[in-house]
Amino acid sequence: MASPAALHFDALVLGGGIAGLEAALNLADQDFSVAIVEKDASIGGKMIRLSKVFPTLDCASCITTPKMAAAAHHPNITIFTYCELQSLNRRGDGLTAAIRQKPRYVDQVKCIGCRQCEYACPVLVSDPEQGGFSARKAIYIPFSNAIPQIALMDTENCILCGRCAKACPTQAVNYFQEAEDFTLTADTAVLATGFEVTPLEDKVQYGQGQIPNVITAMQMERLLAPHGPYNRVLRPYDGMEPDSVAFIQCAGSRDASLGVPYCSRVCCMYTIKQAMLLSGSLPLADITVYYMDIRAFGKGYEQFFQNAQAMGINFVKGKVAYLDQGDSGAVQVRYESQEADGGVQTAEHDLVVLALGKLPGWQPGEVCPVSLGPDHFIKTVKPKLAPTLTDLEGVFVAGAAAGPKDIVDSIAEAGAAAMEASKYLAARKPAFQALKAAS
Amino acid sequence: MSEKKHPEPTSEGKVGVYVCYCGGNISDQVDVEKVCAQVRKVPGVVVARSNMFMCSDPGQELIIEDLKNGVVDRVVVASCSPSLHETTFRQALVRAGVNPYVYEHANLREQVSWVHHGAEATEKATRLVAAAAAKAGMLNPLKPIRVEAKPHAVIIGGGVSGLKTALELAERGLAATILEKSPFLGGQVANLETLAPTGEPVAEVMTELVSAVLRHPAVTVHTCAQVEGFEGYVGNFKLTVAKAPPTGSEFDDRLERAGRSGKGLGEFIPFAGVMPQAVPSGREEVVLEAGVVVLATGFRTYQPRQGEYGYGEFPEVITLPQFIRGLAENPSTGDTLIWQGRPIKRLAMIHCVGSRQIPGVHEENDGGYQNEYCSRTCCGAMLYAANRIRESHPKTHILDFYRDIRTYGRGQEELYTQAAKNGVLFFRFEAGEEPQISKNTGSAHPLQVKVRDVLTFGEEIEAAVDLVVLAVGQEANDIADLVDKMKIPLGADRFLQEVHPKLRPVELPPAGMLLAGNCQAPFDVGESCATASSAAVKAAAILARGYVELDPFVAEVDLSKCQGSGACVEACLADGALTMAEMEIDGQKVRRAQVNPALCLGCGACVAVCPANAINIQGWTLAQYETMVDMIVSNDYLEGA
Repeated sequence: MASPAALHFDALVLGGGIAGLEAALNLADQDFSVAIVEKDASIGGKMIRLSKVFPTLDCASCITTPKMAAAAHHPNITIFTYCELQSLNRRGDGLTAAIRQKPRYVDQVKCIGCRQCEYACPVLVSDPEQGGFSARKAIYIPFSNAIPQIALMDTENCILCGRCAKACPTQAVNYFQEAEDFTLTADTAVLATGFEVTPLEDKVQYGQGQIPNVITAMQMERLLAPHGPYNRVLRPYDGMEPDSVAFIQCAGSRDASLGVPYCSRVCCMYTIKQAMLLSGSLPLADITVYYMDIRAFGKGYEQFFQNAQAMGINFVKGKVAYLDQGDSGAVQVRYESQEADGGVQTAEHDLVVLALGKLPGWQPGEVCPVSLGPDHFIKTVKPKLAPTLTDLEGVFVAGAAAGPKDIVDSIAEAGAAAMEASKYLAARKPAFQALKAAS
Repeated sequence: MSEKKHPEPTSEGKVGVYVCYCGGNISDQVDVEKVCAQVRKVPGVVVARSNMFMCSDPGQELIIEDLKNGVVDRVVVASCSPSLHETTFRQALVRAGVNPYVYEHANLREQVSWVHHGAEATEKATRLVAAAAAKAGMLNPLKPIRVEAKPHAVIIGGGVSGLKTALELAERGLAATILEKSPFLGGQVANLETLAPTGEPVAEVMTELVSAVLRHPAVTVHTCAQVEGFEGYVGNFKLTVAKAPPTGSEFDDRLERAGRSGKGLGEFIPFAGVMPQAVPSGREEVVLEAGVVVLATGFRTYQPRQGEYGYGEFPEVITLPQFIRGLAENPSTGDTLIWQGRPIKRLAMIHCVGSRQIPGVHEENDGGYQNEYCSRTCCGAMLYAANRIRESHPKTHILDFYRDIRTYGRGQEELYTQAAKNGVLFFRFEAGEEPQISKNTGSAHPLQVKVRDVLTFGEEIEAAVDLVVLAVGQEANDIADLVDKMKIPLGADRFLQEVHPKLRPVELPPAGMLLAGNCQAPFDVGESCATASSAAVKAAAILARGYVELDPFVAEVDLSKCQGSGACVEACLADGALTMAEMEIDGQKVRRAQVNPALCLGCGACVAVCPANAINIQGWTLAQYETMVDMIVSNDYLEGA
């Protein structure tokens, strides 16, 4: 981890999720120097937060950590975490990024990741990394396989008791730490700012998060993860093992009323994956998926969907109109059935999972003069022949930053963005021009 | 890697064992602490530690610290499959300044915790770790094999993906050669008119791409070219290519189209492509050397079976590519679409033809296979066509029969919404209840479509129509000859099989061989270009650096024992990896076995047949195996033993 100062890199990669890591590695492997700037306290993005991935059912931690570690240990890559991009502009011949290192209240250089502070802290706070189902401390390492392993303090909840500072063997806790601004220059940049999940609160018909035992798909990922909050699947309201689980598709997508008219592209597949994992951990549970269209379009996805049907997962074609609280923690699902005799029907389930959609992870606004498409994701100006080109010279886009995308499509796009960036760099660097002349 | 100084491990070996919980994946079944306690009793083991995620930074740090402090000089990690993390941990050794090959991996997840439970799981885990530790004690530092890479890429296939890959490399300053079997560049995309969902004219897209390729001095193009010979390895591939006038009638239609277009070489001819050079008059052989090879062999469209939805039976049943071409060649104006002189009042469109075929539900295709996958592009293409018809011929009504509408991509859901606004009527059918097409005798419309419609609660619907358009799917091109020559894997779906479908989609298992575009899976043009650029970036990493480092797990001949029997050469599975070479030993001219490390697969077939035990695989010697076996059957380290 370099200390904030005026720094120059061949390429700046904005975002340390799977797309950003892949783009950075592809550039670094060509001996270009790369800076990854990540807003969270750890790299790994959304992927490291998942249980398993479709359609291979690889454990997400097991295949993301090698990428994270490879980037963290690459001699040509420097990672800046917990940093906010203040501006990214073309200045003269290159790009200038103003970056704010947010205060962790822990000295990044001194912290050795021993977690003594965490063990000493008396405050328990709901842990968003575990879907809010378990607690963390007010000073903590984000999650067990986070990179870097540096603690940060949650000042909202810290009671200033001083125990962490006393416990720290390296005197890394610093209550007076302030944000630090620094400037980074680069010849080219890859925007890999990913996505956020559509807010549960927006959908009045689905209870806006107020109905007990209606959870989000990201929360279900944690329930299914091997190192999740309960180590098994229990419904959060009363700890009951659910006998009947429903998945509601397009709960945040293909819905003009939410301002998300587009398809979020991954929800069908992650739901099928979760349903399969669930039938593994709760073999007796009834699992129902309410859907409009199953969009299993990628390599091996349709076969995965067919397998799920063969496993006995019940797929019901019908748009769920609204959800309501039922008896003893159950959830009532009201939907228009398009099967059998049709008509409006009500079903009761012990646990309901909403397949929320994807929103852009970053709004460039005043920060960067790059244009957006009508879907508010970053606009690509040549979607067919050069799908990672933005309207800002030398700036390329990869992954969900340019529209919802699954992991493999993000990986392909990250490679493509890295290729565009390498060509851009090669054209500007005398050493590479010599190579060109020689060929 | 080789620049760092490696302290020589001591001869007896101080083995450190590091056991992973894998966040419960292992520790839920295996008592990790007990494994540690037991393997501490294995001779040579000086520490045994555990961690929640050994692959995480703090886990790796444990190992690095022990190595740096001289506590251990050989490492065993017991965690998941080595295919996931062996490299991760070898790199950790490198960071500690230690040779990466004094490392042994034990698999406690796939081989233990996921398949065994309880005390037996812990016992098996202990035995595997003990064996690994015993072997680790005997490991010696090895040097990776460094292979120079020829600064040139060969790309097989001159469609959009191949063209894009070549152009990317050229613009990065690297030389590339495209081999195309037909006389034309442009592949399947040349058979389209505009691209969904944004409507770019194919002529413009194709002209831009192909002219950039042909203009670039770093790209060489060979059309009418077939790979006849293939040998070599990453960095040093050798391809023998035959250029010859096409035999058979496969390209006749396109050549004839080119002939009457009046267009010259290098110009785009709709529904044919671009001829960059004349068809060769005779046979010519070209030998190419390459550091990397990119497969961009593309796809073909599904050919419906005779009688499938009435195809081949009724002239009014056509495929979407036929429809697109027909409309482009005979543009129709006016409120009603005209197809082959007939007004089309009602047009039926049927999705998933030759895609999403389910064994036991659908018939097999000619050749006895089924396409179980979704072809990804047809929904968008079909709705795009539907909108164009509705918008320019409002009196032509469209009935769309589908299973699921998969408008997943950017700008595609809008096509679906627009189609609904345009009055396209949608009918949904279940797999196995496909619409039935029959001859309509009683009305002016020649065909009758009958379907059980899910959207109206299973109502039987019949409609008289004038034309039926089938959304045919994508199939991988038949490249059995290349698959055979290059020893590369095909998946069950007959597309080429990548290394990892999630994280390494553009790489093939043999190092230095890459995948671009639709030979891997169905894609649209933008997605193909993304995979092509992605393949190019992997190629650039090898070519720009100029060399590749390979693992040293290859055969090694002990010349003091070799008798020159030649048994190993006969047993060798990799052509050229083992040869008999003349050499002088003690003033005598003898023939002895010699290894080409870059070609050796490290399979050990030679080891098994050597009558003198003179050949071994580095890092996997017979002596090391014997120690492992001894340790696996020993009970000395088990608690209570």
